[in-house]
Amino acid sequence: MTNPSAASPRRWGLAICLLSLAMALWVLQRQLPLATLPAAIWQPDLSDLAQLKVHYSWLPRFCVALLCGAALGLAGLLMQQVLRNPLASPTTLGVASGAQLSLALATLYAPGLLIAGEWVALAGGGLATLLVFALARRRGLSPLSLILAGLVISLLLGALNVMLMLLQPMGLSAMFIWSAGSLSQNNWDAVLFLLPRLGLALVLITLLVRPLSLLELDDSGARSLGLSLDRLRVVALALAVFMTACVVSSVGVIGFIGLAAPTIARLMGARTLRQRLVWTPLLGAALLLLTDQLVQGFAGRLSELLPTGGVTALLGAPLLLWLIPRLRLSTGRPQPSTQRTVSQPLGGHRLLPLMLLGLLLLAVVALLLGQGPQGWNWSLNPELLQWRLPRLLAALGAGLLLGLAGCLLQRLTGNPMASPELMGISAGAALGLMLTLFVWIGAPFWVRLIMGFAGALLVLLVIVGFARRQAYAPERLLLVGIAISALFDAVKMLVLSLNDPRGQSVLSWLSGSTYFVELPTGIMALLAGVILLLASLPLSRWLTLLPLGESTPRSLGVPMRGARLSIMLLAALMTAIATLLVGPLSFVGLMAPHMARVLGLQQARAQLLGSALLGALLMVLADWLGRNLMFPEQIPAGLLAALLGGGYLIWGLSRRR
Amino acid sequence: MRRLGLALLLALLPHLALADAPGEPRYSRIAAIDWGLAETLLGIGVTPIAVGGLENYRRWVGEPVMPDSVQDLGLRTEPNLELLTQLKPDLILITPQFEAARPWLEKIAPVKSMAIYRPDSNPLLTATEVTRELGRLTGHEAEAERLISDLDQHIAAVRAQLAGRTLPPFYLVSFIDDRHVRVFGDSSLFNAVLERVGLSNAWTGEDNYWGFNQAGIEQLAETPDAALIYFAPMPLSAEQTLARSMLWQNMPFVRAQRVHAFPPAWQFGGLMSADHFLRLLQEALPHD
Repeated sequence: MTNPSAASPRRWGLAICLLSLAMALWVLQRQLPLATLPAAIWQPDLSDLAQLKVHYSWLPRFCVALLCGAALGLAGLLMQQVLRNPLASPTTLGVASGAQLSLALATLYAPGLLIAGEWVALAGGGLATLLVFALARRRGLSPLSLILAGLVISLLLGALNVMLMLLQPMGLSAMFIWSAGSLSQNNWDAVLFLLPRLGLALVLITLLVRPLSLLELDDSGARSLGLSLDRLRVVALALAVFMTACVVSSVGVIGFIGLAAPTIARLMGARTLRQRLVWTPLLGAALLLLTDQLVQGFAGRLSELLPTGGVTALLGAPLLLWLIPRLRLSTGRPQPSTQRTVSQPLGGHRLLPLMLLGLLLLAVVALLLGQGPQGWNWSLNPELLQWRLPRLLAALGAGLLLGLAGCLLQRLTGNPMASPELMGISAGAALGLMLTLFVWIGAPFWVRLIMGFAGALLVLLVIVGFARRQAYAPERLLLVGIAISALFDAVKMLVLSLNDPRGQSVLSWLSGSTYFVELPTGIMALLAGVILLLASLPLSRWLTLLPLGESTPRSLGVPMRGARLSIMLLAALMTAIATLLVGPLSFVGLMAPHMARVLGLQQARAQLLGSALLGALLMVLADWLGRNLMFPEQIPAGLLAALLGGGYLIWGLSRRR
Repeated sequence: MRRLGLALLLALLPHLALADAPGEPRYSRIAAIDWGLAETLLGIGVTPIAVGGLENYRRWVGEPVMPDSVQDLGLRTEPNLELLTQLKPDLILITPQFEAARPWLEKIAPVKSMAIYRPDSNPLLTATEVTRELGRLTGHEAEAERLISDLDQHIAAVRAQLAGRTLPPFYLVSFIDDRHVRVFGDSSLFNAVLERVGLSNAWTGEDNYWGFNQAGIEQLAETPDAALIYFAPMPLSAEQTLARSMLWQNMPFVRAQRVHAFPPAWQFGGLMSADHFLRLLQEALPHD
């Protein structure tokens, strides 16, 4: 981490704290003559509404902002300290989304449990954390792989959350507001809930200060001082998850404070752990308070709608983008992914015709078999086929493209966790589209296509810009993706929480519905898939060599820059088209190349073909299942694919040991 | 040349005459994507063959009760095309909100879009227009007129019943959670009903053309002498915590016990919903 200013942390920290307090005071004096403030605080006149509002709404909200900000900052600091990972935080490790989903499930199916909401959230957050660690463990828990695993899990849990929202659009409108982190209060319950729990956590943290500060040494150094590292890590992480769960269960997901506060504390010059333990919670509290008062003070009519947590996330994404070039990551560069060049059991190539056959069979079934008013039936009725065919073709094309894009990216970065979803290109396309849907409700397909593509292209440009500066270091590419996904997630949550009737159609597209695909679009999707497949086959040599690291391919005459740039462009184009067809939510780009490799398709060319076929297979399956599982309700293909993908990931994990 | 023109005119005449006659087909197998249109159909004695989002209709609209024969089309933004094709409707009714699906729906049957909620219009008036239009399309003109005049009489009766009494202005809300409500304002259907019976709406803030705004509950204190009507279904979180909310407990209408809990009534509906609201209003206000 570069440290630009040598200024003492005190000066900057105090400045931020004072600024937020001044802002709070300014908002307060607009509601109430300050002369009556003491009365409003201690003994409000029950017939004076201004005093009531200050006492039961503004003041508890003020306290909740401080408490939650401090708690999230501390949680982030703990995670960063024990994982030695400057990007760890409740949101980036998936803890917050785990807590969120478990609460959403409880709301819908077991509302009785909500009495102990923090334990529900704790269970969800803890489970999500375990999953993240399980996913990242094989890569030695390197900072990058942990963050990537966190993103995968967040996306998966987010997909489940979207599915709940989609099927229960009205019952969950509270969930929209809450999941975007609304701080508004109408009594002191939340304060009284948070205070003892966070106080307890704080006491425990102070007990851990000494061992934690020994972690500044490297592992062996710390161990030689008689420290049980694993136990310390588990305890500290559990504390962090607990604090996050308390915050999430009382006010929802507040993005990025947990990442920003410790980072800014360090940038301000707080070096020792003790210094950071003091400044991080102060900064977290001040940042959240400042954001919240800004929302209250300036959002005007929107101030009730705008959930503060969404706004912090919105502000946090640029911060992350700014941070990335300044981070010094011990990348734990993954071993070349030609790992264990095992003898291919089925001789790889012989599998490909089988896959093609399977795909064709599935396509025929998806086209002819479906549900109607009288249950399941086979049908050749052209009136039905006119609906099924475009969707089938779109799913086919999108799956093909995503599988290919995933394969390209994984080979490019030498990282089996890379995928188009994780590069943020899908998110970029989604942002463009969301904008269109809100500015022009009934925008025709081609307008949406252009806007989506523009969004994807913009992200691509950002990525290329970063990549050039970073000499195409693959990790940075993925980090850009994480920042953009986070930005997109914040925008999505804000849009949904506005409770606008248009939110529903945004939601449907976001979850990857093929409903609005027309036949020409479907045909073009398939054509695009086939053409780009053919275009990527000549790259096989590069794709074989690139995962071997920097020097080997160079010595074999691979033009590194050109090769990387062309692969990236190709992958981005594929992702953009696929996103327009099935939304940004599927894991097909992650899953298909992985399955291909597991099935023994190790060579670049074979893996490309296999990924394309498997991607198409998965997407067609997802679309068909989505149309029929809950008939007449239709689950969008992208969403179903994401759920299949999540299941596959978890199954894959449990199988490995 | 002139003769040719005349001949053309003569040739066209019968068609012109035909177009003038009530030659439009009378539709009977109607699929209604929107709930407001669906309930209006029931109100004029036409049972739609299919309705969008039926499960949520039962939860949020309740009345009029949809008969079991009605098929569920799934999500209203994406009505199930395969099912719709097999049901063979002769007319599909949508509102501008669901316009996106029109090109697809048009391949199945003629599509008509009717808006009860438009910018700068009184939903009670537009709902009346829509009722007439539906009556004309289904050949149930008489029933449509009866629905309209029944509502008028009902309004007049309630108005007479309330005349001479001083009633507070009413907030009309449905809870989103224990801190936020949807509050219905100027452009809402129920506001129009309130005005017609001589009552007033306590919410004077802005609303969208659907007639609602989202507000924090403390914003409902701005008209201190108001009463409050809230509609079920109530989100669980709200039910449990409102009782413990000091802000809520000290809201003027709560302290003065001017809070009325109403069963589900569709705030975005047509004349049937207006009538339903009117009945609820009649039951809730003390008779004397």
